[in-house]
Amino acid sequence: MTANAKSEGSESRPLDKLPVPLWIAAIIILLVAAVVVLLGLLAVSIMERRWEAQRPVVVLRPLGPWEPNNAVWGQNYPRQYESYLKSRISDTETKFAGSFPRDYLEEDPYQVILYAGTGFWRDYIQARGHYWSLTDVVRTKRTDQPFVAATCWTCKSTDVPRLMHEMGVRRFYAANFHDLKAEMRHPVGCQDCHDPNTLNLRITRPAVAEAFEVMGRDINDVTHQEMRSLVCAQCHVEYYFVTNERHRMKDYLRLPWAKGRSVEEMLAYYEQINFHDYIHAISQTPIVKSQHPDYEMYLTGIHSYRDVACADCHMPYRTQGGMKFTDHHVQSPLLNIANSCAVCHRWSEDQIQTRVEAIQTKVHDAMLVAEEALVRAHFDIAAAIQAGATQEQLARPRRFLRQAQFRWDYVSSNNGMGFHSPQESMRILGDSANQAQQVRLLVARLLAEKQIAAPPRYPDVSTRRKAEAIVNAFMQGEAIKLLP
Amino acid sequence: MVAKLILLARLSGLARRWQVMVYVSFGAAVGMAVVVARIANAPSYLSDTPQACINCHVMTDAYASWQRGSHSRVAVCTDCHVPHSNPVAKLTYKATDGLKHSYVFTVRQEPQVLRLSERAVPVVQANCTRCHGAQLMMVRLVSSSRRTCWDCHSNIHGSVRSLSASPGVLRPQLPAAGLSWLKKGIEP
Repeated sequence: MTANAKSEGSESRPLDKLPVPLWIAAIIILLVAAVVVLLGLLAVSIMERRWEAQRPVVVLRPLGPWEPNNAVWGQNYPRQYESYLKSRISDTETKFAGSFPRDYLEEDPYQVILYAGTGFWRDYIQARGHYWSLTDVVRTKRTDQPFVAATCWTCKSTDVPRLMHEMGVRRFYAANFHDLKAEMRHPVGCQDCHDPNTLNLRITRPAVAEAFEVMGRDINDVTHQEMRSLVCAQCHVEYYFVTNERHRMKDYLRLPWAKGRSVEEMLAYYEQINFHDYIHAISQTPIVKSQHPDYEMYLTGIHSYRDVACADCHMPYRTQGGMKFTDHHVQSPLLNIANSCAVCHRWSEDQIQTRVEAIQTKVHDAMLVAEEALVRAHFDIAAAIQAGATQEQLARPRRFLRQAQFRWDYVSSNNGMGFHSPQESMRILGDSANQAQQVRLLVARLLAEKQIAAPPRYPDVSTRRKAEAIVNAFMQGEAIKLLP
Repeated sequence: MVAKLILLARLSGLARRWQVMVYVSFGAAVGMAVVVARIANAPSYLSDTPQACINCHVMTDAYASWQRGSHSRVAVCTDCHVPHSNPVAKLTYKATDGLKHSYVFTVRQEPQVLRLSERAVPVVQANCTRCHGAQLMMVRLVSSSRRTCWDCHSNIHGSVRSLSASPGVLRPQLPAAGLSWLKKGIEP
């Protein structure tokens, strides 16, 4: 034993003389350095997150009272601005909406007939995100006339509040759209909804505030949660232009809320002031064009009843690290189900999407049924005109048709294909189809009095091109012969 | 592995000053680890206190809704969210789940609305019945279906759930990352 140990001992060299190469030491040092670097990064990440939660907002650049430039706001509020910039994305498509230039007239040629006489029959493209508001309003053929009221800029640019302040609201509306083009440099953005000093939500467009006054309410005397819908209601509402007595032009922006905000009450208001947007090219009916009454429709829905605001679904809260902020990428909630719907509805995203699309598809089907009845009603009245019916005889069917078409348009022009209030949408479409059929009934009696029993020869309007040819013929006074 | 490397360094034919450098670098790593453990409040993870779960901000809403709900009077986070069959299962589960959480949060991949992971479902369900078992004796379908308690009792953490559902002010402050006497030193 002893000899053995001794011989081993004599053979072994001192520990620090064993031949292990130098590179191992180098590797160890590098490895440990990597570990330290990773630990350091982790430490920095932890500390950053703590810091975020303690100091959420740092104003780097104080904002002027009418700062229109969204990028300048973005220097102070980078998270909100970055998400806002995503409204540039214009290739997102949901079943019925999304943010891309969908051509409604190609998809649904009936609308060419229904809008015959107003700009929409020539050009009706789905609007894209807020970022494109300026581009899209300039590009549409509906502003392609020598004089267009500057009112059309009202909801398109953050430069509008400044100009309204400088020019006065009435003068702003009365100006020519094309004269103000150089002033409009920034699309819908920060200032439209936010006070630059306090960041509080505020109303910058006078129409909705005036409508509240007419209802006997003060729009500034509402809760923050209501404000999270009302800033959207500055634009996403039904409106019309009041005729300017001096220029005999329609230019003053007003909401038809004096009698109330349901479709019947607005219709009653339009009847009372005897308003129309255009005379229909085929049936010569005075038509009120409905404009995306998103807010009014939402008011009748379950989400509104439960106090869920527009922003809750279209701009859901996000938490990034320790920071809570609002996602300013305003878009269809169907493109962000996880953050919007799933906060309250705990099903899978697939289930939620299927359910929403099922609701929308039903509304869409009902809408097409109403459209078919309306299109036929327009041709029926045109046939009665050709059969020599008098204006007095046609007054009643035209009044029904005008109401039926407004009801259909109320749902059709709404964003969300009825989802903002499914039952209300179906109710309105049911009324619309029923009224349109009543028009047809009345006209059938008129024709019967004139010994015409066979139905009119309805032209083929199954494609956009065919529908446009028919409308053009009526507009040029070369109407096709509808009577058998 | 590390022990083997240390051994190699000790056995190597390096000059003394190289060996010293190796030891210094290890010391730096260990020191850094201590600092990270301190600012990450790491020792708290060994405990069962609910405050440990809100060391990061992701669980703020879960904490606020638990604290204001009926369960806060009788149970803490770990009573429901880790297994209690035996201590080994509990600690293993806690360690793997915790590492997964810290990884996801560090690389900023956390979803806005949290859902139980597949492997967490049986754990939480077992914990429901651990306390509420007696109430279930009369529920005929309880063993015959794959339903969980929260299919119906969906509001245990409130009816609205999102990382942003509760304001940050509802959570207790984190302890200071530094040492208290250090802070005293810089106060004017």
